[in-house]
Amino acid sequence: MSTDTVNQKSSLQERLGRNWIGIFIFLLVLIFSLSARAFFSVDTAQLIFFNGTEVFLLGIAELFVIITGGIDLSVGFVMGFSTVVASKLIVMFAGLGLPPLASILAGSVATMVIGLLPGLVNGWLVAYLRVPAFIATFSMLGVTHGISELMTQGIPTKNLPSLAGMIGNGSFLYRAPNGALSFFARPQVARGQTVIAILPNMVVFAFFFILIFAFILGRMKFGRHLYAIGGNIDAAIRSGINVKRDLIKAYVISSLFASLAGISYVMKYITGKPDAGANMLLEAIAAVVIGGASMAGGSGTVGRTILGALVIAILETGLRIIGMQTFMTYILVGAILILAVIIDQIFPNRNR
Amino acid sequence: MKKRYSAVLVILLILLTLAPVFGQTKKQLTFLFMPGVQDPFYTTMEKGVRAKCKELGVNLIVAEYPKAWGPEYQVPILQAYAQRGGFDGLLIAPTSVDALKAPLKAIYDKGVEIITVDTFLGDGDYSKPNTDYNFPLSYIGSDNELGGKMIAEHLAKLVGEKGKVFCEATNPDVSSVAGRVKGFTEGVAEFPNMKLVGVEWCLDVQQKAQEQTLAALQKDKDIVGIFGTNVFSAQGANQAVVNAGLVGAIKIASWDATITNIDNLKKGVVDLVLAQKPGEMGSLGVEWLYKYLTQKVQVPKKVIPGFEFFTKDNVNDPAMQQYIYQ
Repeated sequence: MSTDTVNQKSSLQERLGRNWIGIFIFLLVLIFSLSARAFFSVDTAQLIFFNGTEVFLLGIAELFVIITGGIDLSVGFVMGFSTVVASKLIVMFAGLGLPPLASILAGSVATMVIGLLPGLVNGWLVAYLRVPAFIATFSMLGVTHGISELMTQGIPTKNLPSLAGMIGNGSFLYRAPNGALSFFARPQVARGQTVIAILPNMVVFAFFFILIFAFILGRMKFGRHLYAIGGNIDAAIRSGINVKRDLIKAYVISSLFASLAGISYVMKYITGKPDAGANMLLEAIAAVVIGGASMAGGSGTVGRTILGALVIAILETGLRIIGMQTFMTYILVGAILILAVIIDQIFPNRNR
Repeated sequence: MKKRYSAVLVILLILLTLAPVFGQTKKQLTFLFMPGVQDPFYTTMEKGVRAKCKELGVNLIVAEYPKAWGPEYQVPILQAYAQRGGFDGLLIAPTSVDALKAPLKAIYDKGVEIITVDTFLGDGDYSKPNTDYNFPLSYIGSDNELGGKMIAEHLAKLVGEKGKVFCEATNPDVSSVAGRVKGFTEGVAEFPNMKLVGVEWCLDVQQKAQEQTLAALQKDKDIVGIFGTNVFSAQGANQAVVNAGLVGAIKIASWDATITNIDNLKKGVVDLVLAQKPGEMGSLGVEWLYKYLTQKVQVPKKVIPGFEFFTKDNVNDPAMQQYIYQ
C-alpha cells in the first residue's frame, strides 16, 4: 500500500467523520420515510421546522455563550419569563385601545428589549465579578422563574388578540387549488380541498434573526473575538480584545434569543406561562454539542448548531408520525450526544 | 465542507418536494382519540372509546398521552398525528380554550369531523354563528355547575340540612372549577338553614389547601361540611380537619372518582365523592361521530352525561365499581 492511498483513505474517513451529522440526518429521514409514507412530504418538513422553532432559537442562544467557554443555564426560564412579559404587554396594549397588530408588535419589541436584561446581568456577573457562568446563570434561572410566577400568580395569561394565533400558526404564502397565491391569509376554499401553505411565519421569524447573527458570528470582528476568548482567554486579553465587553455581549445575545423563543411560543399558543421553556435546556445544549461545538469553548457555528437542533426536531416529529412514544426521543438524544462527543475526539477540530 | 452540507440539504429538499402526498382512502372509518394528559380520567375515557369503536367496527388510533397539561405538549402530538393522517373523525380534549382553535381548524379544513370531550374551545357553545370555534360537531362533557349543585344537595343530606359549609377550590381561572364553585354556592343557597362561609383557592397545592381550611376552621369553629373541588383540595382540607381534632364532626366532599379519592373514602378521609363519567363521554363521542359520518344525523351541539355519587355505604357495591377511574 502506498502512502498515497493511505492518505486518501484516511481523508475519506475523516470526511465521513466530519460530516456524520449530515449523513445521520439523511439516514433519519430515510428510516422515517420507509416507516411511514406520510413522513416524506413538504408538510412534514415544514412541521419539523415549525415545531423546532424554539429549539433552533435556544440552540443559538446557547451557542454564543458556549463559544466563549461559558454556559447559560437560564435560557429556558428566560424564555418562560419572556412569554409572560410579552403576553401581559400585548394584553395591556390591547386594553389601552391599540389595534391588535400594533399591540402585538409593540409587545414583542418591548419584550426583546426587556429580554436583554437577564443577559446583561449574567454577562456582568461573569465578566466583571468573575462569578462562574454555571452559578451566575443558574441563579438567573431562579430569579426569572420567580419573577414570572409573581407576575402570573399561577394563572397563564389569557385574552390575547386572536390575531396573535393567526400569525403564530399561519404561513407566509398560500396556494389555493386553482393556483391563486395569497400572502399571510389562508384563501377560502371548499372544505377538504388542499391549500398548500409555504413557510410558517414563525420559522421565517426565527431564521430572520438566526441569519443576521450567523453573519455577525461568522463574518464580523466581534464573532472572531468570541472564538478567540473561548480558545484562549489570556491570549485574547493580550491581543487587545475587550474581553469583558464581548463577554457581556455574548450573554446578552443569548438572552435575546431566549426572548425570541418566548415570543414565538406566545404567538403559537396565545398564552404565556413561567414554565413554558422549562424542559428545553437539555435540547438547547444538545443542539450545540451535536453540532460539534466543544464545551471548552472556541468552536461551533450557527449552521452546525441548526443541524444539531434539526436532528432533535426530526426525531421528535418523526417518532410521533411513525407512532412511537416520544420518550424514545430523550434516550436517542442522549445517545446521539455521546456519539457526537466521541466522534469529536476521533476527528478533532472538525469545525475550524 | 459547507458546500457539501448545502448540497445534501438541497437534495433532501428537492426529494421532499417531489414526493407525492399520499392520501389514504379506506372504506372503513378510522377515529383518532387525543387525550388531554396522562391521568386516570383519560385512560378511563379511552376504555369507553375503545369499547364503542369495537362495537361499531371503527378503527381506532390512540394518540400519545401528553405528559403534562398544556397546549405546548398537546399541539405537537396532535399535529404529528394529523400529518400522518388516515382518520375521519377526531375525539379530543383540548388543553386550552384558545390555543387549540387554529390547529383544530386546520384539521377540520382537511375534512375531518371533530368532537371535543371533557373540555372545549372558546366558551363551549358551538351553536353560535360567526365565532372562530363553532366548527366542532359537539362538546361532550360534564355540566360542572350542575355537579356543584348536586354536591351541595348530597352534602346537605349528610349534615342534616343545617350548619355552615366551606369550599376549598383550586384555580379561579379554570372554567370547570369555577363552574363547580358557582353550582355549589347556588346549591347551598337553596337550604335556608345552611350557609357558605367562604371559598378559598389553593392553586392545586395541598399544603395551601390545608392552611386555608385551618384558617377557615379557626374563624368559624362550627363548620359542618367542606367541598374540596379536586383531590388535592379535599386532601388538604381533610388534613386540616384532622389537625384541628374535628374528625367525624365535619363531612368532606370531593370531585372525581380517582383511586386516591375512593381509597380516601374507604379510609374515612372524605365522605362523599362525585364521579364524572369519562367512559361514557368517550363512548358517546364515538357514537355521535359514527352516526354523523355514516347517516348524516344531526348531532346535538352539547351532550351532558350525568354523575354518580360514592359514599361509604355504596363504595363497595359491585354496580358502582365501573365508575371508578382506572
